[in-house]
Amino acid sequence: MAGSYDRALTVFSPDGHLFQVDYAVEAVRKGSCVVGVRGSDVVVLGVEKKSVMKLQDERTVKKICMLDDHVCLAFAGLSADARVLVNKARIECQSHRLTVEDAVSIEYITRYIAGVQQKYTQSGGVRPFGISTLIIGFDSDKVPKLYQTDPSGVYSAWKANAIGRSSKTVREFLEKNYKEEMDRAESIKLAIRSLLEVVQTGAKNIEIAIMGTDSVIQRLELAEIEKVVAEIEAENEKEKEKSKPSTSQ
Amino acid sequence: MDTLFGITGKDFVITAYDSKAVASITLMKIGEDKSRELNSHALMLFSGEPGDGVHFSEYVERNIKLYGIRNGIELSPRAVASFARRELADSLRSRKPYSVNLLIAGFDVKTNKPALYWLDHLASLADVPFAAHGYGAYYCLSLLDRYHREDITEEEGIKLLDKCIKELRSRMILNMPDFVAKIVNKDGIRLVQLGGN
Amino acid sequence: MDTLVSKYANAASAASFDTADNLGENLAGWDAANEFALPAFDIPMVSNPVDFLRAHTDASAENRIRIQHGTTTLSFKFQGGIIVAVDSRASGGSYIASQTVKKVIEINPYLLGTMAGGAADCQYWERELGRRCRLYELRNKERISVAAASKILSNMVYDYKGMGLSMGTMITGWDKTGPQLFYVDSDGTRMRGERFSVGSGSTFAYGVLDTGYDYNLSVPDAIELGRRAIYHATHRDAYSGGSINVFHVKESGWEFIGNYDVGQLHWDYQAQPKGPIS
Repeated sequence: MAGSYDRALTVFSPDGHLFQVDYAVEAVRKGSCVVGVRGSDVVVLGVEKKSVMKLQDERTVKKICMLDDHVCLAFAGLSADARVLVNKARIECQSHRLTVEDAVSIEYITRYIAGVQQKYTQSGGVRPFGISTLIIGFDSDKVPKLYQTDPSGVYSAWKANAIGRSSKTVREFLEKNYKEEMDRAESIKLAIRSLLEVVQTGAKNIEIAIMGTDSVIQRLELAEIEKVVAEIEAENEKEKEKSKPSTSQ
Repeated sequence: MDTLFGITGKDFVITAYDSKAVASITLMKIGEDKSRELNSHALMLFSGEPGDGVHFSEYVERNIKLYGIRNGIELSPRAVASFARRELADSLRSRKPYSVNLLIAGFDVKTNKPALYWLDHLASLADVPFAAHGYGAYYCLSLLDRYHREDITEEEGIKLLDKCIKELRSRMILNMPDFVAKIVNKDGIRLVQLGGN
Repeated sequence: MDTLVSKYANAASAASFDTADNLGENLAGWDAANEFALPAFDIPMVSNPVDFLRAHTDASAENRIRIQHGTTTLSFKFQGGIIVAVDSRASGGSYIASQTVKKVIEINPYLLGTMAGGAADCQYWERELGRRCRLYELRNKERISVAAASKILSNMVYDYKGMGLSMGTMITGWDKTGPQLFYVDSDGTRMRGERFSVGSGSTFAYGVLDTGYDYNLSVPDAIELGRRAIYHATHRDAYSGGSINVFHVKESGWEFIGNYDVGQLHWDYQAQPKGPIS
């Protein structure tokens, strides 16, 4: 076939890279930061909200979306790409219920999403999705789940993780501060605390969604987030006080 | 043949279906669910060709749920009924049409009004105060004409349904064991106990 | 909403495997839900498959294919799990084709399907179901639920509704939710239940089964009830007979209990006193 060579944008470079995929990862790095934290019976998603312009309706900017009654997804990267992917995932959730009666498991829908992302790295006439996703939810076993997918189509499970801008810093913070068996309040606090590492403007640019074993998603009001932020600041202050005498002996 | 009922009142719709599953002359099961909850305020009852009812109503249910999740707002009962009608009408002109009769009971949370739609296997849709499908309709439509008022209360609705079922039990040659009744109102969908059972 | 619509409209034809060559073309219609897509199963190249089938199976047909039909199968839940009992006669019209048919299809170590109606249809579709269940298991790292398995079967045969399939089956097994029993037939009917009997002898089996049934039956009593119900059906229904196969579904999977010749059983039961009517 004549056009066989230019059908795919994603061809290997001599050193084994798929440049289009690498660039997509770059787009993710530019996206606002998203964290996910798994507690003992709760999962928390936290996102860095971009400040909206004065005349903009902030309700139209959605970074956390429900895929089904029990699955929630947050993404970092190009929101327009995310819309397409979320739409495909939502259809799959309903279609899964239609074909096998049961709701999708969190791993299943993650694998589906990663599958779609992978397909867009190996097909002609398309480009990869410029997004990474964090997917949270509960299966029938009532254990909290947290998964991550990449533009390359890789997916993995986590106790806590971050994607998007400065995700490396946040992940290192999470690695240092993650404890096993955290309760609801502790999980929320860790999510907010880790986000504060990169969000300078504080509570008003943070959005938090929490899912408990009932699989109902709950979004925190600004006032509630402010309260946690104040708590964290107070703690930080105390830490400083404690460390001061020791350093200035 | 299956019997379905739907009766609207002041602020609710009460529906009922006989819970028999029949294969030729054998009663395979009592307690078969002949309804599907399409969203928090819309209920679909089905009867007709074996298999078609479940497959069609679950297909509609999944599409309505998909709409709710995509848009963050639920379709009104009228929109649900129109969607179901259109799907049935399209299927009617396909190689293998669904052969189902439907009742769609809902509560419109925007206008605060109950809604009942009658939809037959030829995809004709009617907005009605009360409705019935199956042989039961031949006995009970007149009864409902006689007693139904627009402003009946839930208790009256249940009583009226009991009258219908009592008539079927005394006149139909078929054994009419358990009817299952569900009410749709502003709070959603719930099962109700019928006095006659 | 059209997406979901078109997906199901195309389901039957979308099963071809992706090759490097057609990846590009396939992308628009590509869907990971192909996990559950139907096999590319040829239907006769005629405008009406039912007429085609009838032309070859009618009594007046020149070279008549007699499809096996008569059967008695039953299955019921009780405190010890599920009992499945079936006869073993294959008949085409008045001709007994076989007395040793396996009418319980072992889908996998935890799932059983029974066979009534067209033997070929049951065997083909339940084998196809077995393939899908295994794929499901490999992909999801857990066994498929009986509900899901029966739903897959129901969806598959429903796509061929009106084309002459004949299948009445019970899918039983033990999953995370405990023992499960479903009735699935070629009309597309699928229902969960406690107690079913399927086939030409089912009415006779029901008579004995319903009367002797109690949820708290012990395992030996339940096995005996299943065997006895099938025996009485083979006695009254000319299209049922041969021997009886009994299976017991437990938490650890199904167990084959035994094969009992109905001729032998007849004399055994004759010799036994019937006992008082309680």
